[in-house]
Amino acid sequence: MPAGHGLRSRTRDSFSRPFRKKGTIALTTYLRTYHIGDYVDIKVNGAVHKGMPHKFYHGRTGRVWNITKRAIGVEVNKQVGNRIIRKRIHVRVEHVMPSRCMEEFRLRKINNDKLKTEAKANGQQISTKRQPEGPKPGFMVEAATLETVTPIPYDVVNDLKGGY
Amino acid sequence: MVYVKAQKGKAYFKRYQVKFKRRREGKTDYRARIRLINQDKNKYNTPKYRFVVRFTNKDIVAQITSASIAGDIVLAAAYSHELPRYGLEVGLTNYAAAYCTGLLLARRVLKMLEMDEEYQGNVEASGEDFSVEPADTRRPFRALLDVGLIRTTTGNRVFGALKGALDGGLDIPHSEKRFAGFDKEKKELDPEVHRKYIFGGHVAAYMKTLEEDEPEKYQSHFSEYIKRGLSADGIEPLYKKVHAAIRADPTIKKSEKQPPKEHKRYNLKKLTYEERKAKLIARLQALNSAAGGEDEDDDDDE
Repeated sequence: MPAGHGLRSRTRDSFSRPFRKKGTIALTTYLRTYHIGDYVDIKVNGAVHKGMPHKFYHGRTGRVWNITKRAIGVEVNKQVGNRIIRKRIHVRVEHVMPSRCMEEFRLRKINNDKLKTEAKANGQQISTKRQPEGPKPGFMVEAATLETVTPIPYDVVNDLKGGY
Repeated sequence: MVYVKAQKGKAYFKRYQVKFKRRREGKTDYRARIRLINQDKNKYNTPKYRFVVRFTNKDIVAQITSASIAGDIVLAAAYSHELPRYGLEVGLTNYAAAYCTGLLLARRVLKMLEMDEEYQGNVEASGEDFSVEPADTRRPFRALLDVGLIRTTTGNRVFGALKGALDGGLDIPHSEKRFAGFDKEKKELDPEVHRKYIFGGHVAAYMKTLEEDEPEKYQSHFSEYIKRGLSADGIEPLYKKVHAAIRADPTIKKSEKQPPKEHKRYNLKKLTYEERKAKLIARLQALNSAAGGEDEDDDDDE
C-alpha cells in the first residue's frame, strides 16, 4: 500500500497530547486575550478538532491580523519554491499561545529607556548597545611547575628491533 | 492471610494522570465551566458574569462572578445567613429563602452599579415569567446562571434563586420550564403554584397538615417556627415584609470580627531555609570544636 499524503498524515506524534496531560483543557487558553499585531506561537492541540491548522504551521510563530469569535487570524511565513509567502490562516484559540519571542526585546527597551533617563539626569553619555562576549580574561595557574620537554634525537639502530 | 497480588504497582502510579484539583474534590464541572466562561475573542476583556448559586446544608450562596487567569473575581455576593437582618430567621434553605437570596443579590449588584433606580424589576412577586425590559439609558445587567453540580429538576431551589434575581432586575437568559409549578403535560407554567412556593406556601401547607394530624411531630419539626411565634398563616405576610426590607436596603453590612485567639502549639513549627542553614553551621562548629579545634574554624561547607 502506498504512503498516504492526507491532511493529517505523519502527525501521529506531533498532534498527540503529551504524557499525562490528556483530558480537560486548562481554562487559561480560553481566558487569554489577543490583539492585532501580537506575536503568537501555533501549537496544535490534538484534543480539539475544529479550527486546526495544517501540520506545516505546527511550531511556527506569526503575527495576529484578525480576531473573530473563537479564532484568531495569524500571518505566518512559508517558503514556497524560491520565495517566502506571508500566509494568512485562521486558527482556533486552543491551538495558539502568546509568543515570548519579543519579551526579551521589550524588557530591554524598558530597561534602556530607564538607563538613558538616569544618564541624562546625571549628564553622562552612555551606550546601551549590547556587546558580544569577549575573550576570557587572563589568570594565573596556581601551584604550577615548569617542565621543559625536548624531543630526543632519533636513534635508527636501536629502534629497528631486528629486521632491517 | 491469603496472598493477594498487589493491584496498583509502581507502573500504575507512574502512569496515573490526576484530574484537575477541583474535579478531584468533586466541586467543579469543567465541561460546563468552559462553556460559561468562554468570551468571544473580539470582545477582548469584556467580563462575562456568572450568577452562581450553591447550597450547603444550612446556607445558600449567591454570587455574581467573572473569571480571570489569576482567579475568579466576585463582584457581589449574598448569603441566606444575612436574611435574619431583613426579618427572616427560620427556613434559611427553602425555596422562599432562595428567592430572597437571589433578590438580595440582584438589588445589591444594581445598587453597586447605580442601576437600581432604572431597573426595579418585578416588585409584586406574582410567579409568572418576568424578563427585564431594557431601559433607555443603560442596558440591563446580564449574567448567566451557573448551577454547578445540581441536578436541574423542575422545582429545584436553584430556580427559586433565579426567579429572585430576575424579579430583582437582572437579565438572565432562562426558560420557565424548570420553575416550580410547571406542568409537564400541559407544557405551561402555573403562576399560582409558583407564587405559592415563592411565599413558602408549600411549607405553610405542611405545617397545617402536621398541626392537625400529628401535633408531636409538628412540635419537633417546626420548633424554631413555633419559638418565634410563626404560624402557617403568618408565613406569607412575613415573606412580603422580607422582600420589602430587601428592596429598601440591600447594601452589605460589614460584621465586626475579633482577631482569632492564639492557641497553644502542640507540634513543632517548620523552620525556614535560613534557620535550617544556621542550625547546620552551629552543629558543624560544635563538632569541630569537640573534635580538637586545631583545624579550620570556618565551617561554611555549603
